[in-house]
Amino acid sequence: MPDQPLQPFAPPTAVLSHLPVGIITPGAAVMWILFAVFAIWAVYTLIIIYHWLKYSHASAVALPSIGIHLFISVALMAYALSGTILF
Amino acid sequence: MPEFELEPGEHVVRQARKHWFLFAVTLMPYAILAVIPFALPGFLRMAPPLAPYAPYLTVSEPLMRVALGIWLLAVWTGAWSAFTRYFLNVWILTNQRIVEIKQPAYFNRQVSSLLLSRVQDVTTHVIGADASFLGIGNISVQSAGAVDEFHMNGIPRPEEMRDIIMKYVSEKAGTNTSV
Repeated sequence: MPDQPLQPFAPPTAVLSHLPVGIITPGAAVMWILFAVFAIWAVYTLIIIYHWLKYSHASAVALPSIGIHLFISVALMAYALSGTILF
Repeated sequence: MPEFELEPGEHVVRQARKHWFLFAVTLMPYAILAVIPFALPGFLRMAPPLAPYAPYLTVSEPLMRVALGIWLLAVWTGAWSAFTRYFLNVWILTNQRIVEIKQPAYFNRQVSSLLLSRVQDVTTHVIGADASFLGIGNISVQSAGAVDEFHMNGIPRPEEMRDIIMKYVSEKAGTNTSV
Protein backbone atom coordinates (compact mmCIF):
# COMPACT_ATOMS: atom_id res chain seq x y z
CA MET A 1 0.00 0.00 0.00
CA PRO A 2 1.47 3.43 -0.89
CA ASP A 3 1.99 5.74 2.04
CA GLN A 4 1.03 8.86 0.11
CA PRO A 5 -2.21 9.88 -1.64
CA LEU A 6 -2.13 8.85 -5.28
CA GLN A 7 -1.27 11.74 -7.55
CA PRO A 8 -1.37 11.55 -11.34
CA PHE A 9 2.26 11.52 -12.43
CA ALA A 10 3.59 14.02 -9.94
CA PRO A 11 7.38 13.94 -10.38
CA PRO A 12 9.81 14.85 -7.63
CA THR A 13 10.10 18.64 -7.21
CA ALA A 14 13.82 18.48 -7.99
CA VAL A 15 13.01 17.11 -11.46
CA LEU A 16 10.41 19.85 -12.02
CA SER A 17 13.04 22.54 -11.61
CA HIS A 18 15.00 21.17 -14.57
CA LEU A 19 12.05 21.05 -16.97
CA PRO A 20 11.41 23.93 -19.41
CA VAL A 21 8.55 26.10 -18.20
CA GLY A 22 5.42 26.52 -20.37
CA ILE A 23 6.43 24.14 -23.17
CA ILE A 24 4.93 20.97 -21.85
CA THR A 25 3.63 19.89 -18.51
CA PRO A 26 5.30 16.98 -16.76
CA GLY A 27 2.03 15.05 -16.68
CA ALA A 28 1.52 15.44 -20.42
CA ALA A 29 5.10 14.38 -21.10
CA VAL A 30 4.72 11.26 -19.02
CA MET A 31 1.39 10.53 -20.72
CA TRP A 32 2.89 10.70 -24.19
CA ILE A 33 5.84 8.60 -23.15
CA LEU A 34 3.42 5.98 -21.84
CA PHE A 35 1.44 6.07 -25.09
CA ALA A 36 4.64 5.50 -27.05
CA VAL A 37 5.77 2.65 -24.80
CA PHE A 38 2.44 0.90 -24.94
CA ALA A 39 2.18 1.34 -28.69
CA ILE A 40 5.61 -0.24 -29.16
CA TRP A 41 4.63 -3.02 -26.77
CA ALA A 42 1.39 -3.65 -28.66
CA VAL A 43 3.10 -3.86 -32.05
CA TYR A 44 5.83 -6.14 -30.69
CA THR A 45 3.30 -8.37 -28.97
CA LEU A 46 1.15 -8.66 -32.09
CA ILE A 47 4.17 -9.66 -34.16
CA ILE A 48 5.18 -12.34 -31.65
CA ILE A 49 1.62 -13.64 -31.32
CA TYR A 50 1.43 -13.85 -35.13
CA HIS A 51 4.57 -16.00 -35.15
CA TRP A 52 3.26 -18.23 -32.37
CA LEU A 53 -0.03 -18.84 -34.16
CA LYS A 54 1.48 -19.37 -37.58
CA TYR A 55 4.70 -21.23 -36.89
CA SER A 56 4.25 -23.15 -33.66
CA HIS A 57 2.51 -26.01 -35.47
CA ALA A 58 -0.46 -25.86 -33.09
CA SER A 59 1.79 -26.51 -30.12
CA ALA A 60 0.20 -26.81 -26.71
CA VAL A 61 2.70 -24.24 -25.48
CA ALA A 62 1.47 -21.45 -27.76
CA LEU A 63 -1.73 -20.30 -26.09
CA PRO A 64 -0.45 -20.62 -22.49
CA SER A 65 2.65 -18.68 -23.49
CA ILE A 66 0.58 -15.90 -25.01
CA GLY A 67 -1.77 -15.88 -22.03
CA ILE A 68 1.06 -15.64 -19.51
CA HIS A 69 2.67 -12.83 -21.46
CA LEU A 70 -0.55 -10.83 -21.62
CA PHE A 71 -1.28 -11.40 -17.94
CA ILE A 72 2.15 -10.29 -16.76
CA SER A 73 2.22 -7.37 -19.20
CA VAL A 74 -1.18 -6.08 -18.04
CA ALA A 75 -0.09 -6.46 -14.43
CA LEU A 76 3.07 -4.45 -15.05
CA MET A 77 1.10 -1.79 -16.93
CA ALA A 78 -1.35 -1.56 -14.06
CA TYR A 79 1.55 -1.20 -11.65
CA ALA A 80 3.10 1.53 -13.77
CA LEU A 81 -0.18 3.44 -13.91
CA SER A 82 -1.40 3.00 -10.39
CA GLY A 83 1.59 2.05 -8.31
CA THR A 84 -0.22 -0.97 -6.92
CA ILE A 85 1.28 -4.47 -7.17
CA LEU A 86 -1.53 -6.76 -8.23
CA PHE A 87 0.21 -9.97 -7.13
CA MET B 1 -0.29 -23.04 -45.96
CA PRO B 2 1.91 -25.12 -43.65
CA GLU B 3 5.59 -24.57 -44.17
CA PHE B 4 6.12 -28.24 -44.84
CA GLU B 5 3.73 -31.11 -45.29
CA LEU B 6 4.23 -34.76 -44.56
CA GLU B 7 4.38 -37.06 -47.54
CA PRO B 8 2.15 -40.14 -47.72
CA GLY B 9 3.53 -42.72 -45.33
CA GLU B 10 5.71 -40.16 -43.56
CA HIS B 11 5.38 -39.54 -39.86
CA VAL B 12 7.25 -37.48 -37.29
CA VAL B 13 9.70 -39.52 -35.24
CA ARG B 14 11.16 -36.82 -33.00
CA GLN B 15 11.36 -33.08 -32.54
CA ALA B 16 14.42 -31.49 -31.00
CA ARG B 17 15.17 -28.00 -29.81
CA LYS B 18 18.25 -26.57 -28.18
CA HIS B 19 18.95 -27.77 -24.69
CA TRP B 20 16.99 -25.92 -21.98
CA PHE B 21 20.24 -24.94 -20.27
CA LEU B 22 21.34 -22.97 -23.33
CA PHE B 23 18.01 -21.17 -23.31
CA ALA B 24 18.40 -20.39 -19.62
CA VAL B 25 21.78 -18.84 -20.40
CA THR B 26 20.16 -16.55 -22.95
CA LEU B 27 17.72 -15.43 -20.26
CA MET B 28 20.45 -14.39 -17.83
CA PRO B 29 20.84 -10.86 -19.25
CA TYR B 30 17.11 -10.28 -18.82
CA ALA B 31 17.24 -11.46 -15.23
CA ILE B 32 20.11 -9.07 -14.52
CA LEU B 33 18.26 -6.20 -16.17
CA ALA B 34 15.17 -6.95 -14.08
CA VAL B 35 17.16 -6.84 -10.84
CA ILE B 36 19.05 -3.62 -11.63
CA PRO B 37 16.31 -1.16 -10.52
CA PHE B 38 16.06 -2.87 -7.14
CA ALA B 39 19.81 -3.10 -6.59
CA LEU B 40 20.70 0.36 -7.86
CA PRO B 41 19.72 2.36 -4.75
CA GLY B 42 21.94 0.16 -2.62
CA PHE B 43 24.89 0.60 -4.97
CA LEU B 44 24.38 4.37 -5.06
CA ARG B 45 24.47 4.55 -1.26
CA MET B 46 27.80 2.78 -1.28
CA ALA B 47 29.34 5.45 -3.51
CA PRO B 48 29.51 8.77 -1.57
CA PRO B 49 29.39 11.05 -4.65
CA LEU B 50 26.21 9.32 -5.84
CA ALA B 51 24.59 8.65 -2.46
CA PRO B 52 22.43 11.85 -2.52
CA TYR B 53 20.62 10.50 -5.58
CA ALA B 54 19.64 7.19 -3.98
CA PRO B 55 16.45 8.58 -2.30
CA TYR B 56 15.08 9.51 -5.75
CA LEU B 57 14.98 5.82 -6.69
CA THR B 58 12.05 4.84 -4.56
CA VAL B 59 8.69 3.39 -5.52
CA SER B 60 6.92 5.84 -3.21
CA GLU B 61 7.28 8.37 -6.03
CA PRO B 62 4.62 7.83 -8.74
CA LEU B 63 7.05 8.75 -11.48
CA MET B 64 9.49 6.13 -10.27
CA ARG B 65 6.71 3.56 -10.28
CA VAL B 66 5.95 4.48 -13.88
CA ALA B 67 9.59 4.14 -14.83
CA LEU B 68 9.96 0.83 -12.99
CA GLY B 69 6.82 -0.54 -14.59
CA ILE B 70 8.00 0.42 -18.07
CA TRP B 71 11.45 -1.02 -17.41
CA LEU B 72 10.08 -4.34 -16.21
CA LEU B 73 7.59 -4.45 -19.08
CA ALA B 74 10.39 -4.00 -21.60
CA VAL B 75 12.56 -6.64 -19.91
CA TRP B 76 9.68 -9.10 -19.69
CA THR B 77 8.72 -8.58 -23.34
CA GLY B 78 12.34 -9.11 -24.36
CA ALA B 79 12.53 -12.33 -22.36
CA TRP B 80 9.29 -13.60 -23.86
CA SER B 81 10.60 -12.75 -27.30
CA ALA B 82 13.75 -14.77 -26.56
CA PHE B 83 11.62 -17.73 -25.52
CA THR B 84 9.59 -17.42 -28.72
CA ARG B 85 12.68 -17.48 -30.89
CA TYR B 86 14.03 -20.45 -28.91
CA PHE B 87 10.81 -22.37 -29.33
CA LEU B 88 10.37 -21.67 -33.05
CA ASN B 89 13.84 -23.04 -33.88
CA VAL B 90 13.40 -26.79 -34.16
CA TRP B 91 14.73 -29.89 -35.86
CA ILE B 92 12.12 -32.44 -36.94
CA LEU B 93 13.11 -35.99 -37.73
CA THR B 94 10.63 -37.99 -39.75
CA ASN B 95 10.99 -41.51 -41.08
CA GLN B 96 11.99 -40.02 -44.46
CA ARG B 97 13.91 -36.80 -43.83
CA ILE B 98 15.35 -34.30 -41.41
CA VAL B 99 13.74 -30.87 -41.39
CA GLU B 100 15.54 -27.89 -39.94
CA ILE B 101 13.48 -24.83 -39.11
CA LYS B 102 15.47 -21.71 -38.30
CA GLN B 103 13.95 -18.47 -37.05
CA PRO B 104 16.90 -16.09 -36.66
CA ALA B 105 14.55 -13.09 -36.43
CA TYR B 106 10.90 -12.25 -36.91
CA PHE B 107 9.78 -12.38 -40.54
CA ASN B 108 12.98 -14.29 -41.29
CA ARG B 109 12.39 -18.02 -41.44
CA GLN B 110 14.35 -20.76 -43.13
CA VAL B 111 13.11 -24.33 -43.62
CA SER B 112 15.50 -26.97 -44.95
CA SER B 113 14.94 -30.66 -45.62
CA LEU B 114 17.49 -33.42 -46.00
CA LEU B 115 16.30 -36.79 -47.26
CA LEU B 116 17.53 -39.67 -45.12
CA SER B 117 18.33 -41.57 -48.31
CA ARG B 118 21.12 -39.02 -48.95
CA VAL B 119 22.68 -39.23 -45.50
CA GLN B 120 26.19 -40.64 -45.60
CA ASP B 121 27.50 -39.98 -42.11
CA VAL B 122 26.26 -38.72 -38.76
CA THR B 123 28.83 -37.37 -36.28
CA THR B 124 28.24 -36.21 -32.73
CA HIS B 125 30.38 -33.75 -30.77
CA VAL B 126 30.15 -33.35 -27.01
CA ILE B 127 32.79 -30.93 -25.80
CA GLY B 128 33.39 -29.87 -22.23
CA ALA B 129 32.54 -31.12 -18.78
CA ASP B 130 29.32 -29.12 -18.48
CA ALA B 131 28.12 -30.36 -21.87
CA SER B 132 28.97 -33.92 -20.88
CA PHE B 133 27.10 -33.73 -17.58
CA LEU B 134 24.09 -31.96 -19.09
CA GLY B 135 23.98 -34.06 -22.24
CA ILE B 136 24.45 -31.19 -24.69
CA GLY B 137 26.12 -31.74 -28.02
CA ASN B 138 26.27 -31.08 -31.72
CA ILE B 139 25.42 -33.34 -34.61
CA SER B 140 26.83 -33.02 -38.10
CA VAL B 141 24.95 -34.82 -40.85
CA GLN B 142 27.02 -35.44 -43.95
CA SER B 143 25.01 -35.88 -47.11
CA ALA B 144 25.94 -37.38 -50.45
CA GLY B 145 27.15 -33.96 -51.55
CA ALA B 146 30.58 -32.52 -50.88
CA VAL B 147 29.42 -30.12 -48.15
CA ASP B 148 27.81 -30.82 -44.76
CA GLU B 149 24.11 -30.25 -45.08
CA PHE B 150 22.99 -30.09 -41.50
CA HIS B 151 24.39 -29.03 -38.20
CA MET B 152 22.35 -29.46 -35.05
CA ASN B 153 24.06 -27.41 -32.41
CA GLY B 154 23.27 -27.55 -28.71
CA ILE B 155 20.72 -30.35 -28.82
CA PRO B 156 20.06 -32.62 -25.84
CA ARG B 157 21.22 -36.25 -25.94
CA PRO B 158 22.95 -36.08 -29.34
CA GLU B 159 23.97 -39.74 -29.23
CA GLU B 160 20.36 -40.77 -28.93
CA MET B 161 19.38 -38.58 -31.87
CA ARG B 162 22.28 -39.97 -33.89
CA ASP B 163 21.17 -43.55 -33.22
CA ILE B 164 17.62 -42.76 -34.27
CA ILE B 165 18.80 -41.07 -37.46
CA MET B 166 21.05 -44.01 -38.34
CA LYS B 167 18.24 -46.44 -37.63
CA TYR B 168 15.98 -44.77 -40.17
CA VAL B 169 18.85 -44.26 -42.60
CA SER B 170 19.50 -48.00 -42.47
CA GLU B 171 15.82 -48.72 -42.98
CA LYS B 172 15.78 -46.43 -46.01
CA ALA B 173 18.90 -48.10 -47.38
CA GLY B 174 17.33 -51.51 -46.89
CA THR B 175 14.16 -50.38 -48.63
CA ASN B 176 16.08 -48.91 -51.56
CA THR B 177 18.16 -52.04 -52.15
CA SER B 178 15.32 -54.52 -51.82
CA VAL B 179 14.14 -56.04 -55.04
